[in-house]
Amino acid sequence: MSAVLAILRAAPLTSIQDRGRFGMLQHGISASGPMDKAGYDLAGVLGGGGHGGIEFTTAGLEFKLSSGQCRVGFAGGDFQIRRNGTLLDWPGSGQLGEGDVLSITPGRWGNYGYVRFDAGIDIAPVLGSVATSSRARLGGIEGRSLRVGDVIALSGGGDGITAISQRRPELEAGPIRVTWGLHADLFSPSLRQRFTEAGFVVSASLDRMGVRLTDSERVFADATILSLASDAIVPGDIQILGDGTPIVLMRDHQPTGGYPRIATVVSADLDRFAQLRPGTAVAFAPVTVEHAHALLRSRQT
Amino acid sequence: MVALSAPQALPTPTIVPLGDSALLVRFGSTLTDQANRAAIALALALDRSPIAGVVEVVPSLVSVLLRYEPAAGTSLGTIAGELRLLLSVLDDSAPVTTSWVIPIRFDGPDLEAVSAALGMASSQFVAAHNARPLRVLATGFAPGFVYCGLHADELVLPRRTEVRPAVPPGSVLFAAGQTAITATAMPTGWHVIGSTDFANFDPSGELPTRLNAGDVLTFEVAP
Repeated sequence: MSAVLAILRAAPLTSIQDRGRFGMLQHGISASGPMDKAGYDLAGVLGGGGHGGIEFTTAGLEFKLSSGQCRVGFAGGDFQIRRNGTLLDWPGSGQLGEGDVLSITPGRWGNYGYVRFDAGIDIAPVLGSVATSSRARLGGIEGRSLRVGDVIALSGGGDGITAISQRRPELEAGPIRVTWGLHADLFSPSLRQRFTEAGFVVSASLDRMGVRLTDSERVFADATILSLASDAIVPGDIQILGDGTPIVLMRDHQPTGGYPRIATVVSADLDRFAQLRPGTAVAFAPVTVEHAHALLRSRQT
Repeated sequence: MVALSAPQALPTPTIVPLGDSALLVRFGSTLTDQANRAAIALALALDRSPIAGVVEVVPSLVSVLLRYEPAAGTSLGTIAGELRLLLSVLDDSAPVTTSWVIPIRFDGPDLEAVSAALGMASSQFVAAHNARPLRVLATGFAPGFVYCGLHADELVLPRRTEVRPAVPPGSVLFAAGQTAITATAMPTGWHVIGSTDFANFDPSGELPTRLNAGDVLTFEVAP
């Protein structure tokens, strides 16, 4: 199986991803990988399981299959997708032949979508992965976002299609669940309680490194900056900056940091959080680590 | 470096969950020499005696991260239990380290200001800076970035109040009783005292960095 695709339209946060570059934290490199892992996985199942894929944002994506043929799967948030101008079902899959143009525009919800293929993204892995790290500028094409004129070859086979439920995260209402964070004990009980009762809003300042929240109830307005030795950071950590701004650290997070962290978004809810658009209200509900594990295991059945 | 010392009692660590897929063993919340030595010793011990289910071990300044895969059925309690056993026999008397000589050009824009703030001529500062070896305290803040320390009390200076938007790879930074070396371009609030050709990051290598926490560095003036 082989094909070549040419990027006709891409926004600044469009990137090549695979499941991530693990084991490199002590070298200063966080794992990266898809912002919505479940969406990425579903696109892979629908597409035929070729290694890697393209993550795009609400700015959309357009590419042409300049040679060869392939199967394409697409999933993630809600998007509109057209093959040569004809609307296809989303999420879904289709066959592409030479000259076909796939054009993607935003739908009703979500920030990130994925296209994957029945062949792998033919790019030499860096440190074991093709995932683009926006922070370390590694992986993908020269460690950068995709842009018009980029050409991506597909080669090899995929893992084939297995059944998977086509999850619709927009239907999962309710607060984002968190475990108490590394520095929760440095925040007073009343401040922790306000954190769980307040409404925050996803701000327009978001990217693969982090999502800043608007704290209109000024929960953290008086949080004094603490002098802490840098400790390891994990995706989902909610860090309070010196000016009181909460920021949720995402897949391209810095590996270590010295700002206090009040809580960490549970793994089972991080995809859903990543898909919340700017302006969306968000509340946080604390759960135990054991509960977070149970949530993850229930996802697998 | 303490020669021929008996094993020292380590600071009592706390084991804290960090999200649902990692836990952190912390030997303190502020940087001390003792806490840093303990973190490095634990990471080395975990390298020698891995705990089942732990997929990554990362030492930081005063803590060690253990990442695990909850979906694989690993339980936090089991890891914490094994960790306590390991901690009960941990000592920092025999660290495995590599020694390096790092040539530095003391040509940074803040060299004069740093020397003046410490009440020294710049030549005195350079001599004092290089007078004794430093330990790599931690790696991993950015690709190839290393913190080295700790300097003697008379060489302790706070960070700058202003952040430089970008310093080049190979910048030698100085603040808070430490010398740090950058391997990629980055913003920094530390004083820039020099530069080095020693490159600690090569993504094409099998291991992308050369220096590890605990390694001993001797600085000398580049010819």
